[in-house]
Amino acid sequence: MTSSSPSSSDTEFADPDTISEPLQSQLESMNLSGGVTNGSLREEPPSPTSSGYDGGGASEDEIREASVDADTASQHEAAWLPGKRHVHEDDASISWRKRKKHFFILSNSGKPIYSRYGDEHKLAGFSATLQAIISFVENGGDRVNLVKAGIHQVVFLVKGPIYLVCISCTDETYDFLRGQLDLLYGQMILILTKSIDRCFEKNAKFDMTPLLGGTDAVFSSLVHSFSWNPATFLHAYTCLPLQYALRQAAGTILQDICASGVLFSLLMCRHKVISLAGAQKASLHPDDLLLFSNFVMSSESFRTSESFSPICLPRYNPQAFLHAYVHFFDDDTYVMLLTTRSDAFYHLKDCRIRIEAVLLKSNILGMVQRSIAEGGMRVEDLPIDRRQKPSSTNNQGQDTAVGTGGPFGLWHFIYRSIYLDQYVSSEFSPPVTSHRQQKSLYRAYQKLYASMHEKGLGPHKTQYRRDENYTLLCWVTPDFELYAAFDPLADKAMAIKMCNQVCQRVKDVENEVFLQGASPFSW
Amino acid sequence: MPSRRRTLLKVIILGDSGVGKTSLMNQYVNKKFSNQYKATIGADFLTKEVHFEDRLFTLQIWDTAGQERFQSLGVAFYRGADCCVLVYDVNSAKSFENLNNWRDEFLIQASPSDPENFPFVVIGNKIDVDGGNSRVVSEKKARAWCASKGNIPYYETSAKEGTNVEDAFLCITKDAMKSGEEEEMYLPDTIDVGTSNTQRSSGCEC
Repeated sequence: MTSSSPSSSDTEFADPDTISEPLQSQLESMNLSGGVTNGSLREEPPSPTSSGYDGGGASEDEIREASVDADTASQHEAAWLPGKRHVHEDDASISWRKRKKHFFILSNSGKPIYSRYGDEHKLAGFSATLQAIISFVENGGDRVNLVKAGIHQVVFLVKGPIYLVCISCTDETYDFLRGQLDLLYGQMILILTKSIDRCFEKNAKFDMTPLLGGTDAVFSSLVHSFSWNPATFLHAYTCLPLQYALRQAAGTILQDICASGVLFSLLMCRHKVISLAGAQKASLHPDDLLLFSNFVMSSESFRTSESFSPICLPRYNPQAFLHAYVHFFDDDTYVMLLTTRSDAFYHLKDCRIRIEAVLLKSNILGMVQRSIAEGGMRVEDLPIDRRQKPSSTNNQGQDTAVGTGGPFGLWHFIYRSIYLDQYVSSEFSPPVTSHRQQKSLYRAYQKLYASMHEKGLGPHKTQYRRDENYTLLCWVTPDFELYAAFDPLADKAMAIKMCNQVCQRVKDVENEVFLQGASPFSW
Repeated sequence: MPSRRRTLLKVIILGDSGVGKTSLMNQYVNKKFSNQYKATIGADFLTKEVHFEDRLFTLQIWDTAGQERFQSLGVAFYRGADCCVLVYDVNSAKSFENLNNWRDEFLIQASPSDPENFPFVVIGNKIDVDGGNSRVVSEKKARAWCASKGNIPYYETSAKEGTNVEDAFLCITKDAMKSGEEEEMYLPDTIDVGTSNTQRSSGCEC
């Protein structure tokens, strides 16, 4: 038995032949048969591709950094430049109308603040229409949340004087689209704080757009991440794989820095955490981490010099600014230090120099580059236990096939540790290689996640569903959640055993893939 | 082209049904006129870019329905307006008398911070009808009313022929622009060290 962290009885690992019983029996009791598509779990009719993309002439910006795949991310980043697209469109343009997913922010007087596509000012009439719809329903003492029109969903979110709207035909669930609007609002609060509410209270005419000048790239990069970054729906963060001792060394200096009056110290590699620390009693929400790193990563100016900027962490305190010191050590690795003091620049600069000294001494920057090059966990590296030879014969042809993912048709997985608020996902492997396939898989995961966390129907423990694209298996325990995608023809019993093996494998490498120990995520 | 700061101005057009609000807007934005009457349902929205004094403005024009049954939309529609345009038909005494109601209703619903100085513009429309022979509200009477309400600028227009429409909207832009000049200051807070992070606050005086 190798369980080193607390785990309940039904998550114990042992010989797969015996220990998969709990998961197996749960599945049987749900009356799901392995060989057929589970129609009852499919809320929407199947679309040509599961992402809802019909190809057409339509073009939501094609995803180009679709994976968290470290070794290909740089080339994707080069291809996907943050920034606004199609600024010359407006609501009269056919191309604008054909876009798959629109996001709008407007004031409660109907003045446009942000639009994903097109020019905000040219969309002033459209923006007014949205306000009229929202306000009309509000006048009746009610609230509009969702309007369905054919294949389109219009999702509304009202945050005081700020209205957010998503119009989408991407087949995502209402909860996710709403969650995305929440993040978009959080991103705006991160830049301006909720002080803007007061401006609107005093003056309903208030025009926010000048305050957000130059932040188009921040919003478009966040919207882009909705289609490739699982953190946007898991509400957890992910770490760069790194030797335990190196992460410890980084963590120790960050902890020291926090003891000198710094609220949060974070060492990051792109959107992944290398290590982080917080002052006593200070807790950092994964969503704040996502929004903060998105802000830093999408603002070119942070890369060119050390910066000191006011930022607000919406989950920590939406009312007020903190002050952030940001410095890039190289193209990928950067430090973010947060303080409440506006005069702390030189102190934080000193802190950064101390951190840099440790990074150089332990060659952490070099090892980070190596980790980026090597990538994270791979399904191909999972051991194939010969004792697991399937007893059924119908799928034997592909269970150990080379070049199509991992053993027994495993294509990809995401493991989320509930206790740590972290997740680890496998690198994308063939056949899930194109960005479209990767995005499609994420959307399938999102649906799976949604159906597992459905309100009212109680927490579900397991789900096994099969359609023409994937066999998906989800397993939720008090300690972790596992989302796994298999070949649609994968054998059910084998898939279950593979899931147990993935969990075992994650346990084996947990010191490298997770940030262990003193967690500031203890709210 | 250098990106200049642009200003968005919300303009509400009010007045009895059939006085020509939609026609005025169509003439101004699209340079078109139709004799056919189509009642506005709720509100129509149009935008128009205006260059003025080397600045770029976007007028967001809210063309509201004149029928009483739509007046419940008030608060929602009027909130945050930069200028309100009151339109009447010079051939209809009733539509002129109702300007009082429209103005009062707007001030109540929109509750602007400085109602005395909120920018209104009054337009007497349809001066072309019957060569002016069917006119019942004199320019003098209209100007007197405007003067009594704090010197509201007054224009007489023909949406059909385009007379004065451009001038009226230029005035609207100017007034709306003026009203936006004393904008609220954005003064964000920062977290107070003393309350949020007590023990740590004295750690790094450097």
